[in-house]
Amino acid sequence: MPHLVFIDPNDAEVNAPYSPGDTLLHAAQQAGVDGILAECGGGCSCATCHVILNPAWDNQVQSPSPQEADMLTFAVDPTPYSRLACQVILSDAHDGLHVHVAKRQY
Amino acid sequence: MTALAVIGAGQAACTLIAELLRGDFQGTIQVFNAEGIDPYQRPPLSKTSFDQTVSETAHPLLPPQYKADPRVTWVASEVTAIDPDQGRVTANGTNFFADHLVLATGTRATRPTIAGVPENALHTLRTHADRLQLEQALAHASTPVIIGAGFMAFELAAVIASDTRHVQILARGPRALPQVSAESAAYLVARSQAKLHTNCHAVRYDPHTQTLTTNQGELETDCLIATVGSRPNSELLEPFGLADADGVAVDAWMQTPHPRVSAIGEVCRHLHPSVGQSLRVESISEANDTATTLAKRLLGQPVPFQAVPWFWSDQGHEKLQIAGLAARDDAALLNLDAPDRQVVIRHRAGQVTAVEAINTATEFMAARRLFEQGPIALNEVHAAGSMMALLQSSRSSRS
Repeated sequence: MPHLVFIDPNDAEVNAPYSPGDTLLHAAQQAGVDGILAECGGGCSCATCHVILNPAWDNQVQSPSPQEADMLTFAVDPTPYSRLACQVILSDAHDGLHVHVAKRQY
Repeated sequence: MTALAVIGAGQAACTLIAELLRGDFQGTIQVFNAEGIDPYQRPPLSKTSFDQTVSETAHPLLPPQYKADPRVTWVASEVTAIDPDQGRVTANGTNFFADHLVLATGTRATRPTIAGVPENALHTLRTHADRLQLEQALAHASTPVIIGAGFMAFELAAVIASDTRHVQILARGPRALPQVSAESAAYLVARSQAKLHTNCHAVRYDPHTQTLTTNQGELETDCLIATVGSRPNSELLEPFGLADADGVAVDAWMQTPHPRVSAIGEVCRHLHPSVGQSLRVESISEANDTATTLAKRLLGQPVPFQAVPWFWSDQGHEKLQIAGLAARDDAALLNLDAPDRQVVIRHRAGQVTAVEAINTATEFMAARRLFEQGPIALNEVHAAGSMMALLQSSRSSRS
């Protein structure tokens, strides 16, 4: 099974197995990654599942939709690699990649 | 050490549990989950396509380590009685005891009375079991009728309508989506695939001919769905005078008048400072905000409830997001009017009461941030032009 490595707000690394087609949020929740609130449960409506990707993800994910981009402007300290975990769909290509959970969700 | 009994395992209960465990709670938590499956998120039930099944593990509410935490025990039975004075909870004929009881029982779907409808032929959508039944019923249905015309009716219509499945929605009153302004409702109704009948209510149904008789005539339908609201599951507390048909009254710390009983989520009614009224609110934000308020109190850091409610509804490609809570007769100002997006500001006595944003997340989020800072004057929004502009000017004036 492919897996990701989440780095939580306390800098702890958490291994997260996933199935292709899962969202980043789903993988994080299944693995019990701390620091992701996801108040709206994955509806792209609250900006509290803010994660930060890195250059290894370049060209491996679709760009944020206008809705997600708008929500991201309200995340705490967004970066060019910021995403909402509920909107990122995983594939085999993401096996082994690292994801940082934002230090604060609000 | 506090022994806590949490009755219910939905959004509010699970947020409470997670916040307590995250906050290093020193007591124990007994959770009474009557549904027979692990806690799950409800919004996907009405927002996910019916081309696929929603599995019971697809949308978990609690991370595995919280579910398995040694401080938490799970009781998979329905609570049939409680005794607040004794701290007693009765489930499946067994008595459990706790120092403090938390009612997080939520609401259940109201079933309208329609003559001739067999019990299993009228679907509601509240639980995962409801979803599975509706998936089966819709598999061979081509003419579903939805009775009730609120958010859930239009969310459902968007995920069940297809080239071969034509959806009709019956609104009892003169318009659909009475929770929002006429302007927001008109935008969404115009983009819905469902055919809307206003001033229309069901009178009787003939299951043999699959004919629904309404006050306006007959409709053919092979699947009847009711989305006509809900009522709080507050009966456990009614014998003690702590609840009525409009829920459980609690104070700003989620405490009932009984010192051993608190209530959170959609079952409770309390003062919403941003609205200035005591209300029972049905939304994810209410579940989360009441739960975190109670968690802080139980962790010894009480802070009164002060959140501003927010809501969202996915209706096909249209995303409605609402910050704040308007009364039905609050005035409406159309502040952004475009083919693919719209913003309506609700107001009363010169104050903004809610912002209804369709496909305009920035205005919704800006309104939430502004509400968190305090009341929003309508003339300031006028002067700034938009919620976003007002937020930016308030930030630059503060820095």
